[in-house]
Amino acid sequence: MKKQLLKLPLLFFLIVSVIFFYLLIIERNPSKIPSALLDKNVPEFEAESLLTNYQFTSSKEFGNEIVLVNFFATWCKPCRDEHSYIKRFSDEKKIKIVGINYKDNPEKAIQWLKELGNPYSVIAKDKKGKIAIDWGVYGIPETFVVNSKGVIKYRHVGPVSQKEYKKINLIIKKINNDK
Amino acid sequence: MISKKYKIIITLILVNFIFNSCFAVEPSEILKDHKQEKRARNISKNIRCMICQNQNIDDSSALLAKDLRIIIRDKIKDGKKDKEIYKFLTDRYGDFILLKPAFKLNTLALWIFPSIFFIFGIYIIFNHNKKSKKI
Repeated sequence: MKKQLLKLPLLFFLIVSVIFFYLLIIERNPSKIPSALLDKNVPEFEAESLLTNYQFTSSKEFGNEIVLVNFFATWCKPCRDEHSYIKRFSDEKKIKIVGINYKDNPEKAIQWLKELGNPYSVIAKDKKGKIAIDWGVYGIPETFVVNSKGVIKYRHVGPVSQKEYKKINLIIKKINNDK
Repeated sequence: MISKKYKIIITLILVNFIFNSCFAVEPSEILKDHKQEKRARNISKNIRCMICQNQNIDDSSALLAKDLRIIIRDKIKDGKKDKEIYKFLTDRYGDFILLKPAFKLNTLALWIFPSIFFIFGIYIIFNHNKKSKKI
């Protein structure tokens, strides 16, 4: 009995090793953090809008249809990289996209959108980065999927790539089916 | 004998070690009220910088860390309690933002296993010693 008890640490070590090895080989990025806002209502905020003289109010923008929320800035290189995919969401999939222009120069942002095209139905200015903090954003670009009830269903940190574009489309499909 | 010059240099280096605590708080951020500033520093030391991830926001010069430091100070000025400030941060960034994991059901193993291992280890050592003595 006692001898068997002494084998326990070895057994335990093996189990821990298997768990570690498993976590090592599965595809996962440990620096990515799950959002604390998943399945919660979108934070309420008001802001100036970038292109028009319109007061952005979150309660008006969310809760009617599926909305993508995209945090971007002209000084952020990956934002430029993902822009074609963000455009595809609005051009091909006809999804409403709310842009949040994070700590940016408004003139540069307007110029940037003229150059690359504007997929956003409305853009809120986040001059001091306070909106981003309310959304738990820590590295732009970030993209959120909000369902038609104004609940956050998905969050992606980093640029949207081909793979992520497909994934978000699947999520939107699933939200539509669940209705 | 060490010359006087070297003695001075060594003393200066040692003094530097004492006072050179590394932090990123900028002079413009510091609150006038020392007590409030101390509270802000304490909270900041427990909050993870989401960009550098293994640094607290008190040490980090990342822009988001600075924004969070300012928010913490604004909240302290508004008379918010520490608990409310921690809640504000975890509501947005989750428990991950706390450098010290919270004592919750899903972190129970994390807190309890070390002590179980410790006791088990002592038991094994004790047992082993007993056996050795017999021989």
